[in-house]
Amino acid sequence: MGEILQLLVYGLVTGGIYALGAIGVSLVFAILRFAHFAHGDLMTVGAYLALFGITTLGLPLMPAFALGALLTALLTVAVDRLLYRRLRRNGAVVLLVSSFGVALILRSLVQLVWGPENLVYGTAIVPPWRLGELRIRPVHLAILVTGVVLVTALHLFLTRSRIGKAMRAMADDPDLARIAGIPTERVVVWTWLLAGGLAATAGMFLALDTRLNPLLGWNVLLPVFAAALVGGIGNVHGAVVGGLVLGVASELSTAVLPAVYKPAVAFAAIVAVLVWRPRGLLGGR
Amino acid sequence: MELVGLASFLVFFLTLAGIYALVTLGLNVQWGFAGQFDIGIAGFWAVGAYTTAILTTPPSPFHLGGFGMPFTVGAAAATLLAALVALAVGRICVDLRTDYLAIATIGIGEILRLVLKNEEWLTNGVRGIAGIPRPFADLGRTGQALAFLALVLAAIATVHALLERARRAPWGRVQRAIRDDETAVLAVGRDVRRFRLESFVLGAAVMGFAGAVHAHFVGFISPEAFDPLYTTFLVWVMLVVGGSGNNLGAILGAFAVWAIWSLAQFVTAWLPLEWAARAGALRVLLVGVLLQAVLLWRPQGLLPERPPPPVVRDERESR
Amino acid sequence: MSLLEARGLRGGYGDTDILRGVDLVVGPGEIVVVIGPNGAGKSTALRALFGLVRLRAGAVRFDGHDITHRPPESRVRLGLAYVPQERNVFPSLTVEENLQMGAFVRRDDIRSDLERLFELFPVLAERRRQRAGTLSGGERQMVAIARALMTRPRLLLLDEPTAGLSLRSVDVLFARIAAVHREGVAILMVEQNARKALAMAHRGYLLVGGANRFEDTGPALLAHPGIAEMFLGG
Repeated sequence: MGEILQLLVYGLVTGGIYALGAIGVSLVFAILRFAHFAHGDLMTVGAYLALFGITTLGLPLMPAFALGALLTALLTVAVDRLLYRRLRRNGAVVLLVSSFGVALILRSLVQLVWGPENLVYGTAIVPPWRLGELRIRPVHLAILVTGVVLVTALHLFLTRSRIGKAMRAMADDPDLARIAGIPTERVVVWTWLLAGGLAATAGMFLALDTRLNPLLGWNVLLPVFAAALVGGIGNVHGAVVGGLVLGVASELSTAVLPAVYKPAVAFAAIVAVLVWRPRGLLGGR
Repeated sequence: MELVGLASFLVFFLTLAGIYALVTLGLNVQWGFAGQFDIGIAGFWAVGAYTTAILTTPPSPFHLGGFGMPFTVGAAAATLLAALVALAVGRICVDLRTDYLAIATIGIGEILRLVLKNEEWLTNGVRGIAGIPRPFADLGRTGQALAFLALVLAAIATVHALLERARRAPWGRVQRAIRDDETAVLAVGRDVRRFRLESFVLGAAVMGFAGAVHAHFVGFISPEAFDPLYTTFLVWVMLVVGGSGNNLGAILGAFAVWAIWSLAQFVTAWLPLEWAARAGALRVLLVGVLLQAVLLWRPQGLLPERPPPPVVRDERESR
Repeated sequence: MSLLEARGLRGGYGDTDILRGVDLVVGPGEIVVVIGPNGAGKSTALRALFGLVRLRAGAVRFDGHDITHRPPESRVRLGLAYVPQERNVFPSLTVEENLQMGAFVRRDDIRSDLERLFELFPVLAERRRQRAGTLSGGERQMVAIARALMTRPRLLLLDEPTAGLSLRSVDVLFARIAAVHREGVAILMVEQNARKALAMAHRGYLLVGGANRFEDTGPALLAHPGIAEMFLGG
């Protein structure tokens, strides 16, 4: 029982990280209508930009993370202005191909600048707190708390602000948004800013929990997509639930499956959702 | 001596480019004909490579087999097994929307990679399978290389001829129609699912065959021997550069991109030592930028898709 | 001077033209109805006025501006609003949020307009916090029209607003449209319920095969024997 509970804690942490990535995937998928294959590598870039803040600029962890998220958000918008925006009229599949290329470009840039080896942020190792049989690492708690704060802030942004409501409107129906006079390009820029910033945050958390590696983000792209699909495309709350479900399911799977086959859980979730519940568990487009 | 070196490099280059041309032809069936986005290319390629490796190597205590069978049996089995894997996978995924299929194929490729890496009894894990026999070994070094190149070129010619026939046949028309407007095809009562499954399996079979040829060319296969994603990506760029939907374009694209890839290798070889380890990344970056440039400025590729001339139909038949 | 003037519209979505020479004119404060058989290009003509169709020829002028090549967003700013026949509300947004989205182009205070529209469509006031996707067909049409009115348009383009509604909802909706008109908004609508629509219209157009066939005042069209027989259900 203690073992399962421990896996549950790990699952929530992993799931929170997936959720932050899945929100962006889900919004981009709903608003721009394509699966953004470079999302995993945006996570990687974010993690490394935070490393740049720590090692090169000598910033403490939190400001370095903020810097990483901001720079990644701006980079994401730049990629959109440079490539995706010009390719949009050629249809969603071209964007799919292009984003696959962007994924590889980002990854090779990371390898060029930081090299292929594993790196760490060099934070002090704090012993875990014990709650009976349960061990909780402070870093895990920090990840979960920050995740909750970010998701709450995002929720408020999407339900209270003009541009946030416009994003939801566009996720509902991009054509109608144009007809209603919503400046769709501005909404697109905001979408990329949010998606990029959240992806970077997910990447930094993942690197904090494990190590920095050029494949950091690509390796979790599958569960991130799975989380977005499980939650229902365009449904932000769904993406959060989907992320947590995926995280917990893949950690719990290690109780029965060899740990190396964790990605199979995400794959099974994708297939299950697509075949039996194409609109996701919570509904979406 | 220089000239001999150059000639043998050229043979080596053409053989590898030719193997990539085979894979690109396979992707052209899936993507160019049918509009199926497959990122699991390396998976089907690896299934082919491992199948022939297990069948044709001499008996080994480290992995399943080997059974010491001839190359032809290995290649045939590789093609068949890749097709069967595609059939199994395709039955679940093939009628998904383009972008969902793309996501699903990441999973397929990933799981195949994990199986090959972790099921040691089957594949000897990360240590891989060595000693895959090279066909035509009795022809001597040069003769072997030339004969193998001839084999690859003949394979390209054969696959191209077959696919070109399929493309011009009613089968190819239905594939394009499904790609461009699935509902319209459904409306005329065609079994869309079956057609999609057929193109997916056919493409994967070609990829499996190319994987087998590659295994016999290199003589060694392991999960770490090549980065599966780079292979997949390279093949995608080859098809987009050459021209999706055009079989000749697929071949041309493979040779052109492989030439750029190889040239880049020469250039990066001049880099200082500490950069040499990162040369691979530099090449991927270059090819990535090439892809974006083609998408932006020549989205139809070097040889754009040309719809085949209309077949004059018998009036009675169409009624 | 006319408010909207479209001349010689030709175009469509793909290679084949759906519109083959359409002229439409709407004066300030007018109600104009477009009728015609299925496939006549009525909805396409409306979409063309709003810049959603690729035009090969023709010009659209609104309030003295040539808007032929302007994007929809800029047409909204000039005072043109369009309500599509289907998918015309944001289903996961509340009724109130739908109306706020209509006012996105405006920078001024929209609260008084919001209250005014809730007076015009009282049933929406009761449902202002409800998601639009959960409303009935008639209520959705009202949300869509109210959303379009939030931009304070001078011309409202309505594409078959009563399609699929029950007989009772049709009457309610027509009454609401008449109320909108009384506030000074000109209306151009495509309608299947041609009799009821023409009865409230100043003028009407008959479109056949993507081109103008006939035009006259509403009452005259209603009284026209040939048209009554062919298009008004006998």
